[in-house]
Amino acid sequence: MAAIEVEDLRYSYGDVEAVKGISFEVAPGEVLGFLGPNGAGKSTTIKMLTGQLRPKGGRATVLGFDVTADDPQMQARIGVCFEEKNLYLNMTGKENLEFFASLYGIKDPDALGVLRRVGLADRAKDRVGQYSKGMRQRMMISRAFINTPDVLFLDEPTDGLDPVTSAAIRTTIREEADRGAAVLLTTHDMFEADQLSDRVAFINDGEIAALDTAENLKLRYGTRSVKLRLRDGDGVREEVLPLDHASSARLADLAGSPDLLTIHTEEASLETVFIQLTGRGLAG
Amino acid sequence: MNLRLVGRMLRKDLALGPRSPIFLWALVMPFALTLILQVAFGSLFDPEPRLGIVDRGDSQITAELTAMEGLSVMVLDDPEVLRSQVEANDLDAGLVLQAGFDEAVRAGDQPDLEFWIGGESLAANRIILSVTTIDLVRALEGDDPPVAVEVVSFGEEGLPIAIRLIPVIVFFALVMAGVFLPGSSLVEEKEHGTLSALLVTPVRANEVLVAKWLLGLLLAGVMAVVTLALNRAVAGNWLAVLVVVLVAAALASVFGLLVGVAAKDSAVMFAIVKGMGWFLFAPALFYIFPDWPQWIAMLFPLYWIVEPIWQVAVMGEALSSVGLELGVAVVITAGLGVLAARLARRMQAQLAGA
Repeated sequence: MAAIEVEDLRYSYGDVEAVKGISFEVAPGEVLGFLGPNGAGKSTTIKMLTGQLRPKGGRATVLGFDVTADDPQMQARIGVCFEEKNLYLNMTGKENLEFFASLYGIKDPDALGVLRRVGLADRAKDRVGQYSKGMRQRMMISRAFINTPDVLFLDEPTDGLDPVTSAAIRTTIREEADRGAAVLLTTHDMFEADQLSDRVAFINDGEIAALDTAENLKLRYGTRSVKLRLRDGDGVREEVLPLDHASSARLADLAGSPDLLTIHTEEASLETVFIQLTGRGLAG
Repeated sequence: MNLRLVGRMLRKDLALGPRSPIFLWALVMPFALTLILQVAFGSLFDPEPRLGIVDRGDSQITAELTAMEGLSVMVLDDPEVLRSQVEANDLDAGLVLQAGFDEAVRAGDQPDLEFWIGGESLAANRIILSVTTIDLVRALEGDDPPVAVEVVSFGEEGLPIAIRLIPVIVFFALVMAGVFLPGSSLVEEKEHGTLSALLVTPVRANEVLVAKWLLGLLLAGVMAVVTLALNRAVAGNWLAVLVVVLVAAALASVFGLLVGVAAKDSAVMFAIVKGMGWFLFAPALFYIFPDWPQWIAMLFPLYWIVEPIWQVAVMGEALSSVGLELGVAVVITAGLGVLAARLARRMQAQLAGA
């Protein structure tokens, strides 16, 4: 059984339709990357699935619980990392985790162990108000993990972070998925989606434009080609050849040429595919 | 309703309280106000005259002095101990009554009366103690007083201003702890987004509200009792006082909840409290100005909690005498509680950006 099942889910803010009948599933142990620009409907979808917003149409279940039922048993088994860093700043990192663990009914939570996973064990007794932005984000992730959830909702978990912190957070997310948690990850970072996701859903203007593995999407919508840089008298010229039968003779010829300087495969990026599908980039 | 979750959130708020300036301010304010008003209008720093008595017989004077209100009387066995306490200014005056003193006075024998005055005692206390003692001796003798004293009061006869200010001070204690603390705590949770974080755990919005309400109830109750005690305004029995204070704290705290639910941030919350301030405060003014038509005070919701405190705690009336007021207060509390719960649903949707 899928951990998350969504069918024709809809939401509108007044007259503005934010989510226009999306459908997808996430299996246990799977990371589904929700890739789309700001305002595409990613966060609204997470809010509906976590019980913060009541859907205006369609149906969705998380771990078999109807998300409209407002059942605390569902919330007991999910972990949510918000885009906004909503921690108790006057509490220490350890106190934050222990308090949230108590709400899940966890006795003697291993708060230090969880903080250790995100590299914050040595700052466990400092107030969160004294943490840097990156540390607070790691704290957010650790809070989402405190109840060992079966489903993780991560809303832009590495937004605005430095590459080292982002890489550390991605590692811990992958560990959670390997443990068996279903992960719904929203991001507008195509690199993150590519690295972390087992499948990627392109969401644009409230609709899922495509949903598949990153590899399949790139293969289906991208162009397989190589770019060659060749010496041309005193200068350098470039030549792009499609990877097909018709170009194989030309490619073999150039590969043996003494004028060949470099050769690179021209894989389509997820962003290229996204633009191709939606006509807009991921940044906006 | 999961009371265990409510308890955990309440414990968290109580633990975080001392780290919040608003929390500390709300707790300190009634104490500061008590001190200021008592310094200005007296009573806290007006200690009762202190008299020590060594009674070698069983004098009627000792019994009457001990029963007298407004005097602090200590009965000792040893005159030397009495003397040393007067010398050390632990007592303002000391009285030694010989065995058979009453009989000797009645027989007209003019027995010795040792009356020691502490050198550092206040002149007012010395006069009160000596005149009171002489009056009692004269009464014992059975003689008519040498003059007939007629007391004429000028100005309005009524309670001293220090007493009439008690509802104001208690009101501040209730509003600071009962309205401000749950209100600001809820608004802070909204501003920092922690309320959203709570609502994706097994905690429900109504459990958060109950925890905040209990926070206000508990602290407002404690602050009101402490303030009454500081002002020596516990004339009734303690249990009755606790009941009226509890009802008052419950109503004040539900106001705090409403403010917290309605305000999206601290600026709006302070604007609401400022706007509501006179509406809430008005009933307390009627105790300072007893000439005003008292029925007007009934139009304000907090009248129904200030009046029972006044009657039971200050005036020493029985709980049954304020049954109507307490009933109205409970009804208002329940009504506002239902309103807060309804507004909370809208608040929850607003939090999620709906």
